[in-house]
Amino acid sequence: MEATRVGSAIAEGRYAFPIIEGIHLIGLAGAVGLLMLIDLRLMGLFLTQVPPRQLHRQLLPYVLGGFGLVILAGVVLLSSEATTVFASPPWPFKMAFIVLGGANALYFEFVSSRRPDALPSTGRLPVSVRGAGAASFVLWILVIVCGRLIPYITTWG
Amino acid sequence: MGLNPVSLSHVLYAIQKSHFAHRLAESNHMLVACLQIVHVFGFIFLLSPLLLIVLRVFGLILRDQPLQEVLRQPRTVSLTGLAVTLASGLMMFLTAPLHYYNNWAFDVKMLLLLASLVIYAALFVEIIPRQSAHPRLAKVAVVVAVVSWLSVCMAARAIGFVA
Repeated sequence: MEATRVGSAIAEGRYAFPIIEGIHLIGLAGAVGLLMLIDLRLMGLFLTQVPPRQLHRQLLPYVLGGFGLVILAGVVLLSSEATTVFASPPWPFKMAFIVLGGANALYFEFVSSRRPDALPSTGRLPVSVRGAGAASFVLWILVIVCGRLIPYITTWG
Repeated sequence: MGLNPVSLSHVLYAIQKSHFAHRLAESNHMLVACLQIVHVFGFIFLLSPLLLIVLRVFGLILRDQPLQEVLRQPRTVSLTGLAVTLASGLMMFLTAPLHYYNNWAFDVKMLLLLASLVIYAALFVEIIPRQSAHPRLAKVAVVVAVVSWLSVCMAARAIGFVA
């Protein structure tokens, strides 16, 4: 990956890496930040006057757009230092938490949220919905923590 | 009367040599990693409610909800994120003030941060409460506020890469 034209251009360019890293962080704030706001609503801790289905449906396109930016910038960053990243212990954990976060989101989207009375407009939400929100919130926190630890924990030893 | 750069560098040197800063800098490098993580989360919780407010001001989400009602909790979350970002940023600065003092990207970040704080305060104190009277101004102001914070973020990422 590092030998590709994109990978070597970023590794050799002086400002390419911080610019793309900045875009990665901005995408995170948009995608994960907005997703965490939806999670807080599912947990009944944020914008409780707004029907959860409305907030979820209306923010989802922006969350997905942000994730597109994060993934694109992340892959480009990875291509410039793949050897270092793959050797770093937090990397597999980050990937595992992304997979779990994605699976939790897909299960909520296609199973939990489609059950009758899963997302009432007012009042306390079912345990399964609050649990899905809490799991998503914690998993994406862990993704970011592991991502930030990659430059600090470089080997398993 | 401007700040004398020599005396400022002496002050920063004194801070760097202070007991507190010395303990921070000499501690396990994981403390700096933890501060960075807290800093990133502070920024996420500063920016994402602001993005929500942008979408509401432009009428892209929650159109049937009154703006002032929608605004209340995101503003609290965003202000908490700002406080966390500033506190963790100050702690990181204290670990190596002379390093940051000699870094032009840090100077740019501080200028942008100052501008962002002024815009942020104007947004919540003056502009959003009068949004119904000046809807266009509110739209421009929320976009400027988000762009200003994004520029702070970009300048911050450059700090570790420039001399």
